[in-house]
Amino acid sequence: MAMSFERKRQLGYRMMMAPALILMGAFIVFPAFYAFSLSLTNDALLGFAAKESSFVGLRNFSRLFSDPLFWNSLKVTLIFVIGSAVIGQFVLGFAAAVCLQREIKYKSIFNAIICLPNAVPEMVVGFLWISMYASGDYGTLNRIVAWFGVDPQQWLYTFPLFSIIIVNTWRGIAFSMILLTSGLASIPKDIYEAARVDGATDKQIFMRITLPMMMPTIFLYMFVSTVTTFAIFGLVYTLSRGGPANSTEILGIYIYNQSFTSFQLGYGAAVAVVSLVVSMLIGFLYVRALKVEV
Amino acid sequence: MSLETNVVTQRYSSAEQATNRKTYFTLILISLYCIVPFFWVLLAAFDPKASQFLRLPDEITFGHFWNLFANENGLRWIFNSVLIIGIATLLTLVFAGFGGYALSRTQAWWKRPLLYAIILVRIVPPPALIVPVYKVMLALNDMVNSAILNITDDIETQVMLSRMFSFVDGYLGLILIHTAMQLPLAIWIMKTFFDAIPKDYEEAAALDGASQMQTVRRVLIPLALPGFAAAGLFAFINAWGDFLMPLMFTSSPELQTLPLGMFRAFLRVDAIDYGFLTALAVIYTLPAVIAFSFARKFLTQTFSGGVKG
Repeated sequence: MAMSFERKRQLGYRMMMAPALILMGAFIVFPAFYAFSLSLTNDALLGFAAKESSFVGLRNFSRLFSDPLFWNSLKVTLIFVIGSAVIGQFVLGFAAAVCLQREIKYKSIFNAIICLPNAVPEMVVGFLWISMYASGDYGTLNRIVAWFGVDPQQWLYTFPLFSIIIVNTWRGIAFSMILLTSGLASIPKDIYEAARVDGATDKQIFMRITLPMMMPTIFLYMFVSTVTTFAIFGLVYTLSRGGPANSTEILGIYIYNQSFTSFQLGYGAAVAVVSLVVSMLIGFLYVRALKVEV
Repeated sequence: MSLETNVVTQRYSSAEQATNRKTYFTLILISLYCIVPFFWVLLAAFDPKASQFLRLPDEITFGHFWNLFANENGLRWIFNSVLIIGIATLLTLVFAGFGGYALSRTQAWWKRPLLYAIILVRIVPPPALIVPVYKVMLALNDMVNSAILNITDDIETQVMLSRMFSFVDGYLGLILIHTAMQLPLAIWIMKTFFDAIPKDYEEAAALDGASQMQTVRRVLIPLALPGFAAAGLFAFINAWGDFLMPLMFTSSPELQTLPLGMFRAFLRVDAIDYGFLTALAVIYTLPAVIAFSFARKFLTQTFSGGVKG
């Protein structure tokens, strides 16, 4: 029986999709659902439960919600995301984007320097900043603050969370700058000229024209940066591994420590489920709010 | 009258100058923040007396870089990284090329659900997957190893095959997991680029008697080349910099890639060879910086591709 041309073509499309779907299915989609069923067991990496894990219902979740370390991790994650993605990267990236819109010299040099941190692998980021934060009189940051009369600090011990926020802000300025520059470029120039003719001040122009016209881009930036910051692991792991005393234990690190340092896979999966649900919620909101066209 | 205009222009230009000064001041501050952390690694890599602290070298040496070739570890980490990430990037391009094309051209019922699913898959945080992925990899690993035991009795061949095809502590596992992680973004990029290529081109080529393969080779691939460049660059940058997957799935020293090897060498607090590690950090960072400088112009497209704001 001969297949029609159209059916053959449809079959071809499915065959082309297959390898990608199998890989994403096996290593992302299936594990994501598997996390839900694992979170209902007492599975462990060592000991009796490692051989034969059993169904424990929602026990992991009731333990989770009464675990101060989990709430601490959630709080640390929230501060980390707001401090670095929502405030740090956004403010500095926006400032850089606005400045680079102007007719100035050395534009491409500024641009290249600001983009540099974004290209650096996570492990090297940790490496660079461990040297920056090195304690004692010769640490780079200690020498810089000494000019302002500040005593040498043990940055990663005294201000751990603030320190990793500074690092992640540093890394992400480029992304927000590039995205916001494209948003600025799409605002028609004649609106600005009209406003100037009408005698608007710079501040008025920024508040009444630039900011409102940038809202879709800002919203897109907030979504992407929140989701990617939420998923950070290596950057914090190489810098502090969640310490000292859980003060930088963002959710990703908490999951890793519970699963592979405390060997409690079932409990780790329960934390993973919380983190999956939160990011999926943000994703749904985004798809609905921005009316993503596919 | 003429005096008045003069005053106005003067006031205007001095206001302009003030804004200019503020602009430069802001940019210089942000640039300093961005570049200062690099000073140490760039200087220490050429400093015979490299330490954890920033200092101007008394003399310049290339010794640390030569050392990489003498030091087996550094060379092996570079080799492993290039091999694993190189193959993963290639596989990503091939699978995303097919997948993106099919998604762009098909009108089947699964098109829209699949596109939404890919957006959601893209935002799954990898740390949330570590436990279940570890289980999946272990299961696959058992399958591969029992297959290897069936194929040959020779222990040496078994070890060799297991190193290549194992999912935990083997090349194949690392390559496939990196490919899977990069696929959602790559498919999305390819789909966007294929959407911009009119279907008429393919039909015209087909009418002129070109075979399917010829159409793909002569029409589709050349037109989608920027898409492949963007998808490949992002897959490479992300996989090259990834720390979590190597941390999860490598244990034997022979398999270590740059991020994990360097991290573990750095943990031996009493015996850190800063010259060696900073030279390695420079070499590890360079490909990512070069790739990023090419990928930059595609960065906005990857996110705003499907968005009508």
